[in-house]
Amino acid sequence: MTRKLLILLVVFTALNAGGQEAQSVLMLDAGYASVHDSYLTPITYDGVDLALSVEAVRPMRQGQWLWQLNVGADYNFVENPSKNNDLHKLMGDIAFDMQRCWKGVFNPKLNLSAGPMAQLRAGIVYDEVNSNNPVTVRAHANVGATGMAWFNTRLGRKPITLRYQLQLPVAGVFFAPEYDESYYEIYLGNHKNLAHLGWWGNRLDMTNYLGADLKMGKTTLRLGYRNRLEHWTVNHLHVHDVSHSLVLGLSL
Amino acid sequence: MLSRFISCGADANYADFTNWLLKFAKFALKKERGSHSIYCTYCLPFICLLLCCVGCAEKDEFEHDQVGNFEALWSIMDEHYSFFDYKQVDWNAVHQRYRALVSNEMTDRELFDVCGDMLKELRDGHTNLIASHDVSRYWIWEQWPVNYDERIIDEHYLNFDYKMASGIKYQILPGNFGYMYYGSFSSNIGEGNLDLILSYLSTADGLIIDVRNNGGGLLTNVETLVSRFIKEKTLAGYIRHKTGPGHNDLSEPYAYYFEPTKNHIHYLKPVVVLANRGSFSATNNFVSIMKSLGQVTIVGDTTGGGCGLPFTSELPNGWRVRFSSCPIMDAQGRLTEFGVAPDVRIDMDDTDRTHDAILDAAIGLLAAGTNAPR
Repeated sequence: MTRKLLILLVVFTALNAGGQEAQSVLMLDAGYASVHDSYLTPITYDGVDLALSVEAVRPMRQGQWLWQLNVGADYNFVENPSKNNDLHKLMGDIAFDMQRCWKGVFNPKLNLSAGPMAQLRAGIVYDEVNSNNPVTVRAHANVGATGMAWFNTRLGRKPITLRYQLQLPVAGVFFAPEYDESYYEIYLGNHKNLAHLGWWGNRLDMTNYLGADLKMGKTTLRLGYRNRLEHWTVNHLHVHDVSHSLVLGLSL
Repeated sequence: MLSRFISCGADANYADFTNWLLKFAKFALKKERGSHSIYCTYCLPFICLLLCCVGCAEKDEFEHDQVGNFEALWSIMDEHYSFFDYKQVDWNAVHQRYRALVSNEMTDRELFDVCGDMLKELRDGHTNLIASHDVSRYWIWEQWPVNYDERIIDEHYLNFDYKMASGIKYQILPGNFGYMYYGSFSSNIGEGNLDLILSYLSTADGLIIDVRNNGGGLLTNVETLVSRFIKEKTLAGYIRHKTGPGHNDLSEPYAYYFEPTKNHIHYLKPVVVLANRGSFSATNNFVSIMKSLGQVTIVGDTTGGGCGLPFTSELPNGWRVRFSSCPIMDAQGRLTEFGVAPDVRIDMDDTDRTHDAILDAAIGLLAAGTNAPR
C-alpha cells in the first residue's frame, strides 16, 4: 500500500515537469440524444442531450506522457415518436487515462498520444408511465484504450489547438437485470445473474471528441463536437444510445 | 458488412461487425508491428470506420401503421407474457384469428377494439391496452357479487365514528373487536402511523382487516402490513420472471421471506381478513400470505386474483400495454392468478341494507374464539 502511494506521489509530482501545458477545462455539451432500452420500451426515443464535465490534462515525464481525468454528468430528455411519453436518462462518469505522446508525427505541428484508460459510468433511465418497470439502472466499469491527435496552429495571431480523441472501452463489468426481472425481485434479495462481463462481443462503448482550443491570454476557449455510443446486448435485452453534441468549454 | 451494420437492424449484424473489427485489428498489428506507418495505414481508417458506425440510432422493428401496431402488440405479448401455458392459450391461433380482422384502412378506434378483444383472450385483469381515448380491460370482478358496501359499515357498524391514518379507517367495534379498512395498497403505510393504529386496537380481543374492493397497489405496503402479524421470519411465497422471449423461459422460483418489523408494535391475537372479488393484485398477494398464518382466517369471497407482477410496454403509435410478467406464488408454490379461496365463504344479502353478512361472520368467528378449519 505504501509503495502504491509512493508511486502515485512520484507520478503526480512529475506532472508539470514536461513541456506541455497543464490544462483544466469546464465543458457544457448540448445536442441530440437517442435512447433505446428494451427493458423499458421497444421504441427508440430521441431528444436532447445535456452534459457538464471537467477535463484535466497534465503532462508527465518531460512531456513524453500525459494523464487525463474526465469527471462529468449527462442528462438525456427524450420523447417517443408519438410525442406522448418521455424518458429521462441521468448518468455520471469518471474516466482516467495515461497516454504515451509522440510529437511531430508526419508534421512538426501534429502530435499523437495513446494509452490505457479506465472508466466508471453509472446512472438510471426513468420512464414516466411504466408500471413495475419504470426505471432501469445502468452501471459499467471498464478498461480500454484512448488516443488523441492534436494539431497546433494559429487562427490569425491567436494560437489554436485542433484535437481529435477517441475513448474506446474494451472490456469490463456491467449491470443488467434479467429479461423481465423486476427490481422488486432484486430488492427481495435475488441478485443472481446481474453482473456481466462486457467485451466487444456483447457491448460497444465509444466516445469521440473533435474540437478546437483557442487560447485568449490566460484563458482557453473550447468549441467542439462530442459523440457517445453505448450499445449492449445481454439477457435478450438491447440498449443502443447515441448522442451528438456541441461542446462549449472554458479553462479553469 | 459496414452497410449492414449501419442499418442497425439486428444483433447478428453487430456480432458480425465486431468480429470483423477484431480480425482487422489483429491483421493490422501483425502486418505493421512497430512501424510508424501503422497510424496512417490502419489506425486512421479504423477510426473513420468507427466514426461511421456511431451516427446510427436504433431502428424500430415495426411499421407505424395499423397492421404494424397490431403485430407489435402481438409480439410484445408473445415475448413477455408469462401465463400462456398456465392458461392454455394458443397465442399463434389467437394471432391467426385477430390478424384477419386488421387492415391499414381501419380507424384507430376500430383497431383498438380488435386489439382489446385479443387481449381479453388472456383472461387477465392485469392486461390492459391504454390509449388516450380508452383502456381495454378484463375486470372479472365486475361480473361477480359486489359483497361490499361502505355505507352499511359506516352507518351501521361504525356510526360514522372512526379514525383514519395512512389510508386506513379503524375503530373498535361493539364486542371489543378491532376493525381496519384498507382501501388501496397504493396508499403508503407509515410505520409510525401503523404503530398508532395497532396501539389503539391493541386492547381489542381480535382484529378484522377489511380489504374488500382493494384493487391492489404497492407490494412494499403488503410487506409493511404483514410484518406486524408475524413473530418470526416467514416464507411469504415465490417469485419468478421471464428470462427470454420463449413462452417457457422462466426463472427458477425464488423464495422470499418477510421478517417481523423490529421495534414496532405487533398484533398476534386472532385476525380475520375480509376479501371479495375486488381484492386484486397486491391485495390478492396480501390475502394469500395472511392465509398461511396460523392466527388468520379469510372470510368472504374468493379474491380477484392477479398474481403476475405487471410490466408495461409500448406500441409504435404510442399506446401502452400492461401485462402480467413476473408470476408470484403463495407459500405452497401455487399460482393465485384466479384468486385465493376464503376459509369461510359468505355472500352478502343485497336486500338487507343494514347488515354486512361477511363482517357479521367475522365478528361471530372472533366471538366464538375459533379459527375456521382449513
